[in-house]
Amino acid sequence: MISSVRLKPLNWHPYIAPVELSGATPEQLEAMKVTPSAKKVSEYVRTLAHDPESYLARTILFNAIMYVEGGLARPDRELGALGASIVNGCKFCAVVHARRHAELTKSDEVVTALYLDKPEALGPRDAAIYSFARRLSAAPSEATADDIAALRSVGMDDCEVIDLIHAISIFGWANRLMHVLGHAESG
Amino acid sequence: MIDAMDKAAGLSPDDALFAARRFRPEFVQGAEECRLSVLQPANDQGLAPNLRVALARRMAALNGDPVLMAEYDVQLAQLGPTEQLLALAQGETDLNEPLATIVRHVDLITLTPKKAEASHIALLVKAGLNNPQIVALSELIAFVNFQTRVAAGLRLMRST
Repeated sequence: MISSVRLKPLNWHPYIAPVELSGATPEQLEAMKVTPSAKKVSEYVRTLAHDPESYLARTILFNAIMYVEGGLARPDRELGALGASIVNGCKFCAVVHARRHAELTKSDEVVTALYLDKPEALGPRDAAIYSFARRLSAAPSEATADDIAALRSVGMDDCEVIDLIHAISIFGWANRLMHVLGHAESG
Repeated sequence: MIDAMDKAAGLSPDDALFAARRFRPEFVQGAEECRLSVLQPANDQGLAPNLRVALARRMAALNGDPVLMAEYDVQLAQLGPTEQLLALAQGETDLNEPLATIVRHVDLITLTPKKAEASHIALLVKAGLNNPQIVALSELIAFVNFQTRVAAGLRLMRST
């Protein structure tokens, strides 16, 4: 039995000055209407709005990968995101997606096992997903055909594996923004 | 129609995986829009398309992806690269500024994002990059690391 970890949300602060709404161009204002999971205009969004084209395109893709209906179950996508965020060292993303995984599964067992670095405590499906997430997130990728075979052996079909590849890969992207352009602080 | 990700993963329309990819038209179209937004943006923020493609070629190599390396080599050849950009694409570190600072950052964030600190952004500022350029460069780095992973994953699926 392992004790449960308590993960508090972190605050993110950029290393560069974000775009101020009062000085934003029409294109920046238009781009900022599309925010991750449609929340308020955060410092993160205003930082990325310095380059509105890439911000807009990536946010649309990000939201599709993490929230589109059907296919891979939401908690599995969150686990892929968490595995990538741990490898890439993005504490902010790791906490957000660990909390989301716990909310969706109404359990913090998986998240606790990972934060205590005890992946051997995971069930076969979570273990296959987490191991693939870690190996695909290495640079270069260390994932092999055995990882895909492990995902199929726990019942995942091609569409679900494709969803998982995208969930992990989009965090190879998101982590390289969030952990590079700013830092996370508690409370 | 075959897109850049199909090419990278070696998929043709008669592959089952080509059809499986189309189960998610949002991902197919979204990845292509993202590719255009970082490699051929309407506003390049002063980071020219040939610099962007040269950096993409360098990052494909760092990710051990010969298919994307070859693809970016072809694209770079069509964009009138300078000697400096050809050297940059090949992984050279002994470059003029600001290219030398840019490639140190690109290599670090591609291979060891965990090690990123405030000082690395300060180095980009010192090399003369403005905020839109720092963000655009970060998105380009992040995109190629996304693209190489999706391509790697799809290739593994195809091989099993």
